[in-house]
Amino acid sequence: MPKISVDDRVLEVPEGMTILQALDAAGLLMNGVDVPHYCWHPKLSIDGSCRLCQVEIEGMPKLQIACNTLVQDGMVVRTTTERVTKAREGVMELLLVNHPLDCPICDQAGECKLQDYAYEYGALESRTREPRRALKKRVDLGPTIVFDQERCILCRRCVRFCREVPGTGELGVVNRGDRSVIETFPGTQLENDYSMNVADICPVGALTTKDFRFKIRVWFLEDVPGICTGCANGCNVHLGVANNRVYRYVPRRNDAVNQTWICDEGRLSYKEIEAGRLRAASVRGERGAVEVSVEAALAEAAARLRGVLESRGPGAVGVLASPHATNEDLAVLRRLADALGVETRGVAVPVGRADQLLIKAEKAANAEGARRLGFGPAAAVLDRVRQGAVLALLVLGHDALDSGDLASPAELAGLAALVVLDTHQSPLHLVAHVAVPTRVAAEKHGTLTNAAGLVQAVQPAVEPAFEAWSEAEALWRLGVLLGLEGFAGRFDPGAFAAAAS
Amino acid sequence: MLKVPYTTGYLSEHFADDEYATLAGYERRGGYRALKQVLAEVAPADVIELVKASGLQGRGGAGFSTGLKWSFMPKDGGKPKYLVCNADESEPGSFKDRILMERGPHQLLEGILIAAWATGAEKTFVYVRGEYREPADRVERAVAELYEKGYLGPKVMKKAFRHDVVVQRGAGAYICGEETGLLESLEGKKGQPRKKPPFPAQHGAFGMPTTVNNVETFCHVPHIVLRGAEWFRGIGTEKSPGSTIFGVSGQVQRPGLFELPLGTRLDEIVFEHAGGPLPGRKVKGVIPGGMSMPILPAHQLDVPMANEFLRERKTMLGTGGIMVMDDTTCMVRASCVISWFFRDESCGQCTQCREGTGWMHKIIERIERGAGQPDDLAILLDVAAKMEGQTICAFSDAAAWPVQGMLRHFREDFERHVALGHCPFGECFEL
Repeated sequence: MPKISVDDRVLEVPEGMTILQALDAAGLLMNGVDVPHYCWHPKLSIDGSCRLCQVEIEGMPKLQIACNTLVQDGMVVRTTTERVTKAREGVMELLLVNHPLDCPICDQAGECKLQDYAYEYGALESRTREPRRALKKRVDLGPTIVFDQERCILCRRCVRFCREVPGTGELGVVNRGDRSVIETFPGTQLENDYSMNVADICPVGALTTKDFRFKIRVWFLEDVPGICTGCANGCNVHLGVANNRVYRYVPRRNDAVNQTWICDEGRLSYKEIEAGRLRAASVRGERGAVEVSVEAALAEAAARLRGVLESRGPGAVGVLASPHATNEDLAVLRRLADALGVETRGVAVPVGRADQLLIKAEKAANAEGARRLGFGPAAAVLDRVRQGAVLALLVLGHDALDSGDLASPAELAGLAALVVLDTHQSPLHLVAHVAVPTRVAAEKHGTLTNAAGLVQAVQPAVEPAFEAWSEAEALWRLGVLLGLEGFAGRFDPGAFAAAAS
Repeated sequence: MLKVPYTTGYLSEHFADDEYATLAGYERRGGYRALKQVLAEVAPADVIELVKASGLQGRGGAGFSTGLKWSFMPKDGGKPKYLVCNADESEPGSFKDRILMERGPHQLLEGILIAAWATGAEKTFVYVRGEYREPADRVERAVAELYEKGYLGPKVMKKAFRHDVVVQRGAGAYICGEETGLLESLEGKKGQPRKKPPFPAQHGAFGMPTTVNNVETFCHVPHIVLRGAEWFRGIGTEKSPGSTIFGVSGQVQRPGLFELPLGTRLDEIVFEHAGGPLPGRKVKGVIPGGMSMPILPAHQLDVPMANEFLRERKTMLGTGGIMVMDDTTCMVRASCVISWFFRDESCGQCTQCREGTGWMHKIIERIERGAGQPDDLAILLDVAAKMEGQTICAFSDAAAWPVQGMLRHFREDFERHVALGHCPFGECFEL
């Protein structure tokens, strides 16, 4: 492998990489070795047009762009010389010649590479006396994105993204020179499953998502690492959190899972952290459901289950897991079923459209984890219910309705005990004898196993605004209330930390 | 008949003769003898060596060694190889390729076929600027004649050598004269230069190894084959051999095309061949090689027209398009027109070029309108410096150099505008 030196740091680099790719692969780019860049993006083709990443290479008379210069053994690269600094200042000054001075009302402010690099590498004063380019400020590019032509610095990442990632190619550059503008091709709009990624890769405030723009200033957001739970891919995200609310998902780079992307549907699934939640525990009595505390609901659930166990034995009890629950939740469920002697176990997995990029058919984050923990197809469980063999059912989530395994909640009307633990409202908990609200992945610790078998951790980003326990905690308490072997005292998450392995 | 004043040399010897543009007329005057000779007895590698030995430099503007360029083509037969004839001639002030195509299309095609033999290329794309209808028609007609006669197609002159020629018309952009901008346009894409590497010899037209040469460059080749490298080196200067066709335009008595040896003095071309300034006027400045080359003032015209001498005066031969301006010319206005052109034609990819061309033009236009500030000149020079040598192609340099040249030699014009607050040369025309 060729060895190169960058600012006296020696790197071994695979053949065929450019300098920026080598720095990126070594984890040094903008993290030890600062080579500012706009048009270059690790997951897009090389453009070489912004000219900001120029570096000095020993033996070459001109500065070279680091993004497109292949490494060669013995290459000596310098990124901090006066010539490099001057070249950066030059590019920054020219980029700002026409850039509008609307930072105070720009949604990108605070996470804008033009601001950042102007601060780091720019000149201290403006020398332009000429009027700035006046262009359209709010171009509706499609259902998800709004475009400000004036702010665009023409790095063309968005153009390359649409051509290279979703392959839809809606965007192009129209006109030449300083009249160049990004536009959609006539008769088309920017509309694909991944369209909102263009807002992430836009280094400035030119492309913003209709969903997030003007919701909050980004410096109020805390970025909490997490996992998108929209499908079995397990795309890595940052949850943008403020005031105990999640304002957005943005993709978090993971080259083994989602590169730097996320699909639009997954991105918007942050809304489900608030919307449609099951917000109170309830127990159904003769006059309908009554709200109770989680503890009271679990006590009622224990009583109902005990009734069936005592009269008909564990063969009359079934367990349905949720592919949305974490491995830790499901490990407690498995221990509970084991302790009860319940063999009838399954998991219902909703499926939908898939593609070759990120979107997986299984619309839950932990279906693979559930299977690995021994939960088979839900149909086997529901068949036993329909046969009348199972009289008590402990259900996590309402996935059986989403998957179609269960045509209607009425199919469960004859059960002697229907205990539902769910994060969201559905027709299912309305017919349950006991309904218990639980936590979504953004509200708890745990792990999720994606379709490829990769185990990824989640952590609490927000606290639910109502009383809700994780499934693991609730099931643990149920085990304690039933006096089962292996369930005693308080729930210790550490005991299930290895659930996924 | 040729309507412009001209002098002749080996390239233009028969240009007055309408029959020369036909295959029969061309052959009657010795045409395709060089091709026949090469196909019969010269190995491709030896043709490249001959062209190298002749010292022929590309006539499209950069002046790179033609033989060396041909030698960059891969020798193995893995992929089809292509030639591209750059007939975009988009540099303002240049009109030699036009006459070469109109008056001697077969001379061009013979050069192309010899180059194809030398490089192993199976196809040539002749990319003609869209406005050049007559030249493109002439080349197309000549190509049809060659197919009819079996000089093009699966067996060129009955040899085991295939070659096809496609004439492609451009849609009108300066940047499509830049070789990789041309390739993009040829492929049906927006004309904007490609980053290098990869270079065209590895990854050119449609991803195949490609050599791009200017029209005039090809035209020299049959003559070198017939008369030898020594003969060629006997014309012109030691470092810049051969002749070229200088196109003289602007404020002179006899604008026209003059085939002269490289190294002919600029003042000889302007004052003798082109007849000097109009009555009662004086030459103020001369752009020696197309609009992107820095201007020379009247007292610096005693320079031989070859790069080794022109470089000493901080300019270059370029395309040999000589533009003469007399003492009625406001150099600020001239700069304004030039900078407007480059602003209009920048493809807009690279930051320095896209923003720099616009900024320079706006400053110069403001000075011309009388609103210049004393430090504008320093800013202009600084912007020009930032545009030089840092971009994908040489366009940015080409936009910076003329402004630098104007400020180097005619700073006084700019300073008077700033001091007076208006243009001292009378009414401004619409820009």
